[in-house]
Amino acid sequence: MAVIDFEFRNSIIQKDLGNTLAYCYQCGTCSGACPVAQVTNGRYNPRKLILNSLLGLKDNLLLGTENNFNIWGCTVCDTCDEMCPQNVELTEIFTLLKNMSVKKGEAPDYYTTQAKFILEHGKAIPLAPAIERRRDQMGLPKAPKVDKKEVRALLKETGLEKIIGPIEEEKKEGEK
Amino acid sequence: MEEYDLFPGCVIPNRLPYLEDSARKVFDKLGVKTFDAPFNCCPDPVGFNAVHHKSWMVLSARNLTIAENDNRSIASLCNGCTQTLKAVNVELKQSEEERASINAVLAKIGREFKGTISVKHFVQILIEDVGIEKIKEAITTPFTGLKVACHTGCHYARPSHIMQWDDPMEPKCLRELVEATGATAVDYDEEVLCCGAGVGNTEEEPAMQILKQKFDSAIQAGAKCFVVICPACYQQMDNSQRNLKKLFEKEYNIPILYLTELLALAMGYKYDDLNLKLHRARPQTLLERYNAV
Repeated sequence: MAVIDFEFRNSIIQKDLGNTLAYCYQCGTCSGACPVAQVTNGRYNPRKLILNSLLGLKDNLLLGTENNFNIWGCTVCDTCDEMCPQNVELTEIFTLLKNMSVKKGEAPDYYTTQAKFILEHGKAIPLAPAIERRRDQMGLPKAPKVDKKEVRALLKETGLEKIIGPIEEEKKEGEK
Repeated sequence: MEEYDLFPGCVIPNRLPYLEDSARKVFDKLGVKTFDAPFNCCPDPVGFNAVHHKSWMVLSARNLTIAENDNRSIASLCNGCTQTLKAVNVELKQSEEERASINAVLAKIGREFKGTISVKHFVQILIEDVGIEKIKEAITTPFTGLKVACHTGCHYARPSHIMQWDDPMEPKCLRELVEATGATAVDYDEEVLCCGAGVGNTEEEPAMQILKQKFDSAIQAGAKCFVVICPACYQQMDNSQRNLKKLFEKEYNIPILYLTELLALAMGYKYDDLNLKLHRARPQTLLERYNAV
């Protein structure tokens, strides 16, 4: 049986991102409007995510890497937010749940891999030499260089590296 | 006309440069002046925000300070970038507490968010700064009779309280711009349905089911191509047609055009000028009918 965890509930409801949670009256409009819910036979259900958050049933939410679709099935289309009669900002609440899932190491690889690219290159997709040549052929201007030092300094300050682990380049340097 | 810092994002310049090329050509024809700037990743509202919200806000705020220092608003070529930059810009303008917390981090690199600029999707600039009439005047190769399925994608006008632009569930501006070329924007049931890219980061099959729903609905309404305004949607819709065939044993070969490609074609550029052979679902046969090849 799941245990009610008031601290967990408060960690959502007392944050800027989560403070609309209490307005939910479980009408189910979100799940009715959700494109993922329509095609996944109950595996993804936004109304249930909100209910479990409201009740503080943490164990019903953070289910481990194998069963993370309940949180990570969200396609971030923002349709539920738009349709909610109570103006609950569901996508923002799901951002908090996803951040918690990442912290527990339960997120799909795609997300942490992308974050490492941003940490290392300042861009989610760095410019590959083949594309650079194509840009030249098309007569496009050189893509401006990102100041990676600034990006790193900011992400050090926010503690991102502690959450997603060090980037490969630094690991190698550490091994030397 | 107002001048902008161009925000091409990561996907367009570093993976799909032909889309950037079409946008620059259209801006030149219409007199929209933009400047390049050393922006970092917007960052991705689907990916990076889900990993760490504060890091997402801070990197977005850094981009905003670059444009603030240039004293220019931002012209974005991508829905995701528009949503991230706009959301953080609005949040930091409204909340003194958030602003103080983000500025404390930015201070480490000698930057400060001031809240002096705005962020616009290029569709907004085409509608507001240029105007439909001026665009119509620039059309030399009309697409009269071409049936187009408009797909704005999710982060263009949602969430509406942040985006404050167009209608979040019945968007109109893309249709107006498509119809300015002489083409017809068809009505189809799944016009506001997501392309599925977000859930595709986690699992492929639900993403493909959503995309199939969208494609079937548009094709049934008679659409011969899609017009999109987001590179994530573009990639999902152009790259996945082979997967759809594998999963559902159904052949889709429907061209996905970026709005700026359609406009550039209508303004006289040809298939080769725009490197349209780089599309997976090639629009060649379709465009031959309109003297655009």
